[in-house]
Formats: sequence, structure tokens, C-alpha cells
Amino acid sequence: MFDHGQPSYAEVNKDILSTMLETGPKYWMLLGMTMSVAGICFFMPWIYQLFVGVGAAGMNHNAVWGSYLSNFIFWIGLSHSGTLLSAVLHITNSPWRKSIYRSAEAMTLFSLMTAALFVMVHVGRVWFVHWSFPIPNEMGLWPNFRSPLMFDVMAITTYLTASSIFIYMGSVPDFAAVRDASTGLRRRLYTIFSFGWRGTAREWHTLGWAYTFFAVFVIPLAVSVHSIVSWDFALSAVPGFHHTIFAPYFVCGAIYSGTAGIVTVMYCLRKFLGFERYIGQVHLDSLGKLLITLSLIWSYINILELFTTWFGGTSYELEALSFRLTGFYAPLYWEMLIFCAFVPLLMLFKKIRLSWNKMLLISVLINIGMLTERFIIVATSQPRKFLPGAFGFYVPSWIEISISVGSFAIFVTLFLIFIKWVPAISIYEVKETLKPLRRNV
Amino acid sequence: MAILGSFAFEEDFLDAARKLKSSGFDKLSLLSPLPLEEAQELMGLEKSPVRHFSLAGAIFGAIAGFAMAVATSLVFILPTGGRAIITIPPFLIITYEMTILFGVLFTLLGFHFVSGLPAWRDRPYLISAGIDRFVVIVEGAAADQVARAEAIIRDAGADEVRHVEEDQ
Amino acid sequence: MSTFVEKLRQYSKPGYYDEFDYHWTMTIDLDRCTGCEACVVACQAENNLPIVGEERFAQSREIKWIRIERYWEGEYPNIKMGFIPMLCQHCDDAPCETACPVYATYHNQDGLNTQIYNRCIGTRTCAVYCPYEVRYFNWFTYTWDEPLEQQLNPDVSVREKGVMEKCTFCIQRIRIAKDNAKDDDRRRVRDGEVVPACVQSCPTEAMLFGNSKDPEAKVSKMMKNTRGYTVLKDLNTTPSIVYLKKVHA
Repeated sequence: MFDHGQPSYAEVNKDILSTMLETGPKYWMLLGMTMSVAGICFFMPWIYQLFVGVGAAGMNHNAVWGSYLSNFIFWIGLSHSGTLLSAVLHITNSPWRKSIYRSAEAMTLFSLMTAALFVMVHVGRVWFVHWSFPIPNEMGLWPNFRSPLMFDVMAITTYLTASSIFIYMGSVPDFAAVRDASTGLRRRLYTIFSFGWRGTAREWHTLGWAYTFFAVFVIPLAVSVHSIVSWDFALSAVPGFHHTIFAPYFVCGAIYSGTAGIVTVMYCLRKFLGFERYIGQVHLDSLGKLLITLSLIWSYINILELFTTWFGGTSYELEALSFRLTGFYAPLYWEMLIFCAFVPLLMLFKKIRLSWNKMLLISVLINIGMLTERFIIVATSQPRKFLPGAFGFYVPSWIEISISVGSFAIFVTLFLIFIKWVPAISIYEVKETLKPLRRNV
Repeated sequence: MAILGSFAFEEDFLDAARKLKSSGFDKLSLLSPLPLEEAQELMGLEKSPVRHFSLAGAIFGAIAGFAMAVATSLVFILPTGGRAIITIPPFLIITYEMTILFGVLFTLLGFHFVSGLPAWRDRPYLISAGIDRFVVIVEGAAADQVARAEAIIRDAGADEVRHVEEDQ
Repeated sequence: MSTFVEKLRQYSKPGYYDEFDYHWTMTIDLDRCTGCEACVVACQAENNLPIVGEERFAQSREIKWIRIERYWEGEYPNIKMGFIPMLCQHCDDAPCETACPVYATYHNQDGLNTQIYNRCIGTRTCAVYCPYEVRYFNWFTYTWDEPLEQQLNPDVSVREKGVMEKCTFCIQRIRIAKDNAKDDDRRRVRDGEVVPACVQSCPTEAMLFGNSKDPEAKVSKMMKNTRGYTVLKDLNTTPSIVYLKKVHA
């Protein structure tokens, strides 16, 4: 479990809390940088687009959905591993979960927020977006619960609520630790955050039960969220969208890209926060094995998608498929296959699985591949629908590209803020993996 | 008067708690930096009532979700896509999501209800209980019993014993 | 109680409407269509469609509620051209309607697929779900240079950016005809009383519009013509537009 010897309990508190309480100039510089990138690349083009209209993006009559939506799916997908993996590993009692789950859940939360931002960027009249919630509005009309988009609204709101509660409740004992280690305003704030936690047997007991229930609720929820996102596509008749395999395809792809995201985040935490002691090779190895499994499932579903299209043999589907495989975006398609199906196979070698740098590279490549996958689904299906007279073409505009870049800055900004507010590794759960404080051990 | 005893080792701590309990000190609090199953058993905690909250929330959410979808479509009769007004399959998805939403919210409520948190008032506490010490707190001991409780704690091997005034 | 059960049964029935008051239907005789695009222009004038300009046209962001699709058959010099005027098919089982989260599009009791501009939030899902690609999005707010704004039709709203729009079968004319019928104490609009702009302007009378609930209406008779077909019938959208074309063996 621990590559560099076991820390003592007091050291755990000290190591983890010091990353929160001690802030160097590098941090502020990085935060300032990501915030300015987010402002310049995301918010400024968006504000421009609000004034001009969605026409500022590259979408047109033949492809009314564009990169905003593919980015939305990407971010939702990235959110899928954190809470889901944490919940599954919690229920199955896997000890290696304990030092990585907090950051993984934070990743879930922040990528969900970024995804929600993309919905705002995507819609034509964002100032009326509250009409899609079941709340009283100026029209006196509630939303259409038959719409797949409405399922989305319900699912994502629920997911956002549930994963915030999940991460918050898991952090309450750690907020108490922060409270005890600080003074002044921070102490008062964390007294509030920690609900006055003392760590009595009753509190631990209740938290344990509640936490398990959260986990039980979150697992089916996470599966439902991404399958619902896939239905935005699959419930239409559009060739290239209309596949029954889409729900498992999206769920699998989401967990896949999310797990790769966790590897990337783990690398950064280790590197920049000095968690070498807590995030070790056992985590890397386990995540690597998980990634191979997911990559194989993902490849299989991709083959199936090609196969069912070929087997069905309808002219619309074949046309859309041939556009995907040989059309303008074909290089992207093959790039996706290489990054997501072939490169991960390298992890079959234990040497690669245990090397941080190689794993970082592979995980980033997987996520690039998954970003392209979503883009291909959106961009190559719509321009080849049914009527050849309405075949078209779609290329993202510079505004869309800038907003996509900016979204990464938003994610990093949120994450940077997070590591200064919440212990990035769960203090009490790390202690559970240490040898207990017993006389005879 | 509350008596706090802090222990460096788990078994001393549990030993003290057991002895205190058998000597009739009922208002015990066992503080630990990490969840301890033995301590929970000692306090007689088995199944937590939180689970009733979860169930109630899930059932409430399911009913509310389905009712909301049906009611909305009945209040605004707007047929779409040749479907019926009350369309069960899509409403089941809404029901599913609402089941989980309210299940989670009620579980949160249950946590607060059962654990007695948030409790922002000052309560007997040692900072070391959040790091690497196990702390036994005896509350509501009568004046003549204080010395006896302290003796039990010291005998079990506490490295620190403190008296704290309880605010009534 | 029995009315409740009755209501419930009615609400659980697919299609919902037992009896449309009208079922507005159009037939388009492709053997008569010359592809002159008079309908396109008429629609532009009637429904306040913006002129988007050359640049936006090149980005395929033009708004044409009815468009003429051209299809080529054979190789040069033995080449033939066919036309299909493509407009909203007002499907009875419209894929676009269920997709809208805010009920901005729904089916009304005249069998029309309606679009309510001020409810639209612009998710564009309906346009993705529409297999005929006849829904047009306002990528920008369009303006008319003076004095062109004087020619806008006062019966039709001007749409702002971020709103989806499409053919309404000239619902404003249907409305006026219904009001006239009501003033004259008639139960129904007479056949031929409602003529959408495109039908009105067709020089070869390729298009016919009417109420297919009325068995005596011209359009009902034309629908039964053996040349009739509906576009993309295999998608089961049950369109309200019947195309007529003699198939050359």
C-alpha cells in the first residue's frame, strides 16, 4: 500500500493538512493563470455569443448540434468515474480506494459543473433556461416530461445534488480535523462545515450507514445519467445516433474516460502536492488493470456498432457510416481508435502500468480519444441524415474551439480552489489503512 | 462535570469504556480519529435508523416523481408526437431519478436527525481525538462518582485525564 | 367516477385526439412541379422570413420554410432533374414534438404541428430529431433595412435569435378563415377557403391544400390517387403531406 513506509497518524494529519493550509506563490500564479485563461477563452467568447446569437459558433442548418454538445458529453463522461468508482469500491470494501477517492469525487463534481455550463452555452436563449425545470415560471407552464432532454435535466440535477452530498458527507470528519488545526476565521468556518463533529461512536456509526446508503443510491444513478445522455441521441431516428447499443456504449465510455481522468489527476496530486507517500504503485496498478478492462469493453462495443450497422444494411445507416469512416472526419475516427483501443493495450505490461510518466501519457491520450469520439458522433451523423438534398457539413468555429479550451481552465480552476478548501485525501480513511494503534501490534 | 480520558491505544480505551459501562456510567462518549467497530458495538449501536429515512425518501420520491409527471401532463394537455397524454415509459424514468434524489435527500436528513449534528455549541472535546488519541468522556457523573470514574480511567492506562465543566 | 375512468382511458390512448376538427393536408404533384421556386418566395413574403445574405447562405444558415430539393437521375447527356418541394410534413407522429423539453412544439387539434416561438429556449433537439430537416434555427437576430420593415406581415410574429421556426401551413390564414366561418355561423371552413402562400402562388397548381376530414374536399380525393406516397414512410412519422409522382418503370 505504501511505497515509502507507513506514516504515523499524526503525520497523516500533518502531511495532508499542510497542503491545504500552506500556500506558496506558485499556487497563486497557477490559479491566476487558469482563471485568466477561463475568463479569456471561455467567458469572453460566450458573452460575445450571447449578444450575437448562437450563430457565432460554426453550427448550421445541417448540423444544429455541434462541439458544445460533444464537449458536454465529454465532461459528463469524465464525471463518471469519480463518484461511481468511489461508491462501488466503498461497497466492495476495497482498501486502495481510500487515498484516491476524495479527489476522484471532486473531479466528478467539477466536471459536472463544467458540463452544465456547456448546456448554457449550447442553448439558443439561455436566459429562459429555467423553463426546463419543474418550477413555477412566467409562462405558467411546466416542462414536458416525455422529452429525453427533460430526463437529462432531472438526471443531471439529481447527480449534481447526490455527488455534492456524497463528497461533503465523506469530508465532514476531515473538516473537523481542519478546524482543530486552524485558528481565526478559518476555524470558525470549519466549525460550521464540520457540524461540530467530535468523532463519537454514534457519529461514526451514523455516518457509516448514511455513507453506504449514499453509495447505494449513487451507483444506479451514475449509470442512469450517462445512459440518459446517450438517449438524447439514440431516441432520435438519425442514422448514426439511432443505436440501441448507445446506452451501454456511453456508460462504458464515460467510466473509461473518467478512470483515465483519475490517473491524470492522481499524477498531478502526487507531483504537485507531494502525496508520494499516500498514492502509490498499488493505485496505479489497479487503475491500469481497470483501464484495460474498460478499453476492451469499449472496443468491443465499437466493433458491435459497426457490425449492427452493416448487418442492418439500411441505406441511410450505411451512408452515415461511410461518411464516418472515409469522409472528412475519418482521420479523427482512426485517431480515436488508436488512442482508445490500441494504445491502452500497452498497459498489459506491468512495467508500463507501474510507470507514472507512461501512465500519464496513456491516460491523456485516452481522454483525447474520448473527446474526439464524442465529436465524431455529433459531427458526422447529423450532416448525413435522410434526404440527400439536405446533406451538409459542419466545422467548429474559433469561438467553439476557444470555449472548449477554456472549459479545461474552468475545471482546473475549480480543482485548484478545491484543494485549498477540502483535504484532497481523506485523512480518516487513510488512517483505516494504517496499522491500528494497538499495544500488541 | 465531565471527565475526559485520553488513550494512546485502542484496547486500553475499549477496556476503560467497558469498565465504566459496567460500573453504571451510562452517559459515555467514545471519541476516535477513525471509525471503530468495537466502540460502536459497545455503545449498543447495531442497525442505524438512517435506513428508514432512506426507504421513506425513496418511496416518497418515487410517488412524487410519478405524480409530478402525470399531473403536469394532465394540467397542460399538450399532445406530442402522437403519444398518449399519460405516457408511462418516459414517466418511469422521471420516477427513477426522483426516487434517487429524494432517497439521497432523506438519507441526509436522517443523518442529521440520528447523529444529533449539527451541534455547534461547545462540547467536551480534545483536539488529539481527531489525530491519534482515543478519548472516553463520562458525562453527568454525580459529584461523588467523579473520583471513581477517574480511577477507572487511570487504571486502564490513560495518558491524560481532564475535568471539564458542562454547561447546563 | 365513470367520467374519471373514461378520461383516464382517453388520456392513455396514443394519439390522444379522437376526432380532429380538421386535418389539414397538402398534396404536391411532383409531375407538375417545375421547380420555379415561386412557393419559396411567397413563403418568404408571407411569413416574415429573413433574408440572411450571401455569407450566411454559404454557411447554410438560410431560412426557407419551404425549399426545393433537386435530384439528378442518370449521367450527362441523358440526365433528368427531379424536384421535391420540402416543407414541414406536419407529421401526426412527429419525432420533433416529444423531444422538446418545454412544450414549444406540440400537436394541435387541427392536426398541425405547431411551433410556439416564445416558449422556445433553443436546444435545437427538434431539428436534430426531424428526419426531413425542415426546422430552421435563428442563428442571429435578423433586421430589415428601411423601408423593408414596412412589408412585414402584421399577422406573423418576427422571431428573435435563439428560436426555432418552421412551416406553419400559414396558420394565420387558417385562423382568419375559421373566424370568418364563425362569423357566418358555419361549423366548418369551406373547402378552398384556406390557401397557404405557397399553394396560392404555384403557377402549375401542383399543390393542393385542404381538410382531409372532409371527404368531399379536393385534397381528400387527390390523396387517394394511386401516384401518392409520403416521404420516408418507413420512419412511421405519418406525414400530412402526400406527394404524387408517376414512377417510370
